[in-house]
Amino acid sequence: MADKTPASVSAALAAATCSLLGSMPAAPVQAEEEPDWDFNTALLYYGEDNDRVQDLSLNILARRYYVDDRSLTLGLTVDTLTGATPNGAIRQNVPQTFTRPSGSSAYTVPAGELPLDDTFKDTRAAVRVGWEQPLGRLWKTSVGFSGSREYDYTHLGLNGSLARDFNKRNTTVSAGFAVAHDIWDPVGGAPIPFAPMLDVGDTSNKTGSETKDIIDVVIGVTQVVSRRMLVQLNYSFSNSSGYLTDPYKMLSLVDGTTGDTIPRVAAPGAEGPSHEFRFENRPGDRTKHSLYGQAKYYMAGKVLDASYRYMTDDWKIDSHTVDLRLRWPLGEYSYIEPHFRFYTQSEADFYTISLVDGAELPRFASADYRLGNFDAMTAGLKYGWKTRTGNEMSVRAEIYTQNGTIPGDRLIGNQVGRETYPDLDAVIVQFSYHFSR
Amino acid sequence: MAARESARAISIEAEQGCLVGRFDAMASPCEILMESGDREQAAYLTRIAADEAWRIEDKFSRYIPGNVVGRINTSNGSTIEVDDETASLLDFAASLYKLSDGRFDITSGVLREVWRFDGGNRIPTQRAVSEILQRVGWSRVAWERPLLALETGMEIDLGGIGKEYAVDRVTGMLCAAAECSAVINFGGDLAVTRPPRQRESWRAGIESLSPTGGSSETVLAIRSGALATSGDSRRFLLNDGVRYSHILDPTSGWPVEGAPRSVTVAADTCTQAGMLSTLSMLQGYNAEAFLDGEGVRYWCRR
Amino acid sequence: MGVEPWERDILAKEEMQLTTDPIEAAIDDHIYFSKEASSGGRGFGGGGCGCN
Repeated sequence: MADKTPASVSAALAAATCSLLGSMPAAPVQAEEEPDWDFNTALLYYGEDNDRVQDLSLNILARRYYVDDRSLTLGLTVDTLTGATPNGAIRQNVPQTFTRPSGSSAYTVPAGELPLDDTFKDTRAAVRVGWEQPLGRLWKTSVGFSGSREYDYTHLGLNGSLARDFNKRNTTVSAGFAVAHDIWDPVGGAPIPFAPMLDVGDTSNKTGSETKDIIDVVIGVTQVVSRRMLVQLNYSFSNSSGYLTDPYKMLSLVDGTTGDTIPRVAAPGAEGPSHEFRFENRPGDRTKHSLYGQAKYYMAGKVLDASYRYMTDDWKIDSHTVDLRLRWPLGEYSYIEPHFRFYTQSEADFYTISLVDGAELPRFASADYRLGNFDAMTAGLKYGWKTRTGNEMSVRAEIYTQNGTIPGDRLIGNQVGRETYPDLDAVIVQFSYHFSR
Repeated sequence: MAARESARAISIEAEQGCLVGRFDAMASPCEILMESGDREQAAYLTRIAADEAWRIEDKFSRYIPGNVVGRINTSNGSTIEVDDETASLLDFAASLYKLSDGRFDITSGVLREVWRFDGGNRIPTQRAVSEILQRVGWSRVAWERPLLALETGMEIDLGGIGKEYAVDRVTGMLCAAAECSAVINFGGDLAVTRPPRQRESWRAGIESLSPTGGSSETVLAIRSGALATSGDSRRFLLNDGVRYSHILDPTSGWPVEGAPRSVTVAADTCTQAGMLSTLSMLQGYNAEAFLDGEGVRYWCRR
Repeated sequence: MGVEPWERDILAKEEMQLTTDPIEAAIDDHIYFSKEASSGGRGFGGGGCGCN
């Protein structure tokens, strides 16, 4: 064959095939390899009411497929955060002045208002890289790296997982781990636990950077129940150790009878806090356990996705999360998906509203509302459609609300009636585009 | 025979907005994927396809005694008159023999008496190979349509053409029988009757098993035409660390050196695709160079 | 419990995967990680941020 002119075999073969079959198809062959790259992109706006946190986030997740079911995943997220966040201090009937975390200036909160730190501005970039491949016929493994950088925080992580199929691939058992080393390099330094907030320019209450290490382990079982139903059950263990305190959060030091924050006078000629504030202090170790169950159920074109999570940790926080989604097709190319989520948590054992002047300091204390007792609800709707070129788009809009309660016996004197849990209302708007190349 | 008859059943199922008809023929799982929601039509079309596949299997399989191939292989040197369809297949085989300089040869099946590709390590002696080569060679066959005379001890095997031929026959029949687009997939060799309407293209996975047991899949999008794959990575011989592929070169009686694990070719018909992939395997190390020279689309796995 | 390989037509649908939209899942994990005291469960999700 080597001596034959190019394509001569094809031509002679076509002629021979034509006489064998008696006819040839009208349409010539059109076959292409499927795209190797899969892109998921999303633009997200998250906004809280009352000028609190606003986040604009761009997300790209690219996946490259190789032969033998191997794939490479590359993820990039860029977040731009602005807005104010509660600093942990309580309301007062007089204006309150705080030294900014940088220690270079101060801000004042009007009388009767919840103290918010408005210096919250950050840009965060996060990347992740993952590799997934089968090991033999029934095993699958993945390894990954994650890293992120923001002005005052660096995260480095590694993860891996192993899964095996059983029972005609109806059962999959998987185990995964993730380790992370995170570095806090707070603006102006990390405060010494329980150190008082000092005048502008005085940094003797701050040290340098701090670190924390996190280990996560997840063990899961996925089971095909029937042609229409699939369930997953996961147990997760997570341990964090190191600096788990929020370097920007503080507590008000109050009078044991009136509940009012102790006034403070700045040094002559200096600008400084108007009241006594103490930086918070959390335990250096936290172990969480969670159980997560998810079911997907198909009913005549509609798909119900229901999940429940129970979490408990040694900070004495217990939480329950229920998440429900119903994907409802509208014709062949689009769908709507209502989403409802309910979350409730109990408070950490060191969560408190304020510190009492003169009383013995507790070992740990934080007035961070996220460690308090609250319920949260998410309600949203997503609309997705397929474009003519086969790409997928979707928009979703959701509202997220937090409603907390402070038990009456935790409030002292004037705090009663004045101090309330800082409820939160936020909106989530997201546009997603999925395409292949 | 009873077991064979009971295995001859078809099933129809709905999958992803299509109907799929399934049956077994020619030692392969066969699928007819139809862009249709009409179960009655799907059953009708699948029945046409299955009947044709089973007819071709019964007529040309060398494992079924008494059919035309059986009669030829037990003719003991006497001249046999064959029907039109068999004659067309023999003409086609004769063309392929010429085109491939003797490498594609329907009389080469007897080589398997000495070469057993079961993953073992038994290599025949050159003497045994030379002896068996006396019974191989289309050039020794007296073929004058419709008369065929085979020397005693020689055999023909149409297994290298049969499945692709069946796919093309069924494709032609279903194209005439229905307006809807359908994919005829006989164990990975497939053809499309006409471009689909509700989707851009059909998706076809070309899968092969690697020696380590891992499965590999490349997904192809096909609108029209056919795909055929040659090669089976589980069939090989290992001797002194040398891996002998199951592709035998009838001109030497030995396995082709450097044949790819599998080659998938896209062509207008399944027969062309199948022959091009087989011919490229026979080229061994030059498989890709051959396919490049022919200007066809192919996916080669080494 | 379970199905035969040829009965996976529904389970193979994109909307029947446990994580239908990986980006949305990651975004949600991150939002709730930064606003609540729980995280993960489904996977490791949500961390790597100074927000909590």
